[in-house]
Amino acid sequence: MILTRIKAILWLHTLRLWRYRWSFLNLVLAEAAWVFLFVLGALLFVPKEYLGLAVKSAFWVIVAWNVISECSSLIGAWMNFFISIGMIEEHILRNISPFKVILGRVVTSFSVIFVTLFFISAILNGVFETNVWSINDPYLLTLSFIALALQGLAYGVTIAAISVRTSVPHNMLEIINFAVIGLLMIPLEKVPSLLAIPFLCIPYVASAHLAKVGASGAQSYMLLEALVISLAETVIMLAIAAYMIKKSEEWIRRNGVRAVGFF
Amino acid sequence: MGLKTLLKSGFTLEIYFYKNNRAAFLAMFLWPYLMLTLILGMGHLFGSPSAFRQNVRMDVDPVVYYVASTLIAMSALSVMWGVGGSILWYKWSGTLPYMLLSPNRMSTTLVFSFIPRYMLGVLIQLAEFAPLIMLIEGVSNGLVKIGILALAATVGMIPLLGFSALFASFLITIEEETNVLSWLNPLILLFSGAFYPAYLLPYWARLISQILPTTYTVELARLAAIVGAPPLAPITFFIGVLLGIALVYNSLAYLLVGYGEKKAMEKGAI
Repeated sequence: MILTRIKAILWLHTLRLWRYRWSFLNLVLAEAAWVFLFVLGALLFVPKEYLGLAVKSAFWVIVAWNVISECSSLIGAWMNFFISIGMIEEHILRNISPFKVILGRVVTSFSVIFVTLFFISAILNGVFETNVWSINDPYLLTLSFIALALQGLAYGVTIAAISVRTSVPHNMLEIINFAVIGLLMIPLEKVPSLLAIPFLCIPYVASAHLAKVGASGAQSYMLLEALVISLAETVIMLAIAAYMIKKSEEWIRRNGVRAVGFF
Repeated sequence: MGLKTLLKSGFTLEIYFYKNNRAAFLAMFLWPYLMLTLILGMGHLFGSPSAFRQNVRMDVDPVVYYVASTLIAMSALSVMWGVGGSILWYKWSGTLPYMLLSPNRMSTTLVFSFIPRYMLGVLIQLAEFAPLIMLIEGVSNGLVKIGILALAATVGMIPLLGFSALFASFLITIEEETNVLSWLNPLILLFSGAFYPAYLLPYWARLISQILPTTYTVELARLAAIVGAPPLAPITFFIGVLLGIALVYNSLAYLLVGYGEKKAMEKGAI
């Protein structure tokens, strides 16, 4: 029964992805064009001899940011649509958690992330004659991206759970997403040593630091600390998400959906 | 319904939009500075202002350079969404038939109801950036540079209105609900040299950039970033080019939006 339900949820999102294929391509093209536009602007500050290295660093920061922002916007913000078409009640009546359906959006979000990044990397490799895929430590990079993806998912589901009880300002979420990229860019070595640990404790920062080390072979500064904080943060964020889901489901069963969602 | 009514309706719509959507109003203040901080922050982390001056081959202040870029990018996006993209919103909300049945021509309604909204938006952004510009350039020089930015945003709007109305006519005729403008807009900004000068783009891209009105608006606004007093000759040159392009695009829009409207009504594509 559980497997059938999981299969149904995954089938739903795969089918929707196929039916909305033009919107999917539209989103990929838009994301890639915006990223390219900003990266070009920032690279104007880089002397020609360091361009290859800077492009590579910028690319992996963008990858990390993309994972985080797509998880919150494509998974979390989908709750708005789900509430508006009355699907929460439908699923609860059939004893299926609406949050499991929301989680199925990983199919959509990771498809967007992968296609967008391959597209962006192809553009950057072509224009700047570099190879952004030459990785220093693939294991560390994979680990960091698993942590980032899980943190992003936990954040997406947490805001989805909040949005069935109260309104979530969509504009503010976008601004938070945008501000995160600034935090991810700051090299840990440039942070005063006294503030390094508190800085690493900001969600996503430790995992992004691991990704930078794994991708471009940046200084292995505070690697162990970043690893421990990243794993602890992932576990805490997942626990918060599970708790919020449980509480929201109990709340919906008692009070019904407030149908507020995102605005 | 006269033009005055259209202007008034656009202004009232914008005021009530801000009044009823305070998060969007606040976001409007934050976005320009977020864009600016992102580019300048990334630039300073990966390189230096001296490398920037070398790469753009001009003696400019990078902060004012990107203030000009951000202002024009935001206002160009506002025109392209507000005029070109509005057709899709009217289509989705079911108000497009009412727009088509209104006494004025579609292009007139789209353009004139948008002008006050645009001017209000530009005014707010200029006021937002004014303290930063005056901090860098000093009060008197800063005021001159703010004047150039205001001039670029105002004159640059004229051809862009026609250009966006052409998109509106395209969107009204195609039976496609996908919002193609979401990826076309950043591409237009890219070819216009919004954050990376058009003259540094490859030859084929420069050809595209020459037919885009935003290219000249961006170039005009960036004259504000030149260290010292801005030269008068290029200012008058870019104003001349923009007015010439405005004539072409607005005449085309006047003809083609009417045609698109007729086609859509014949096919029932509304």
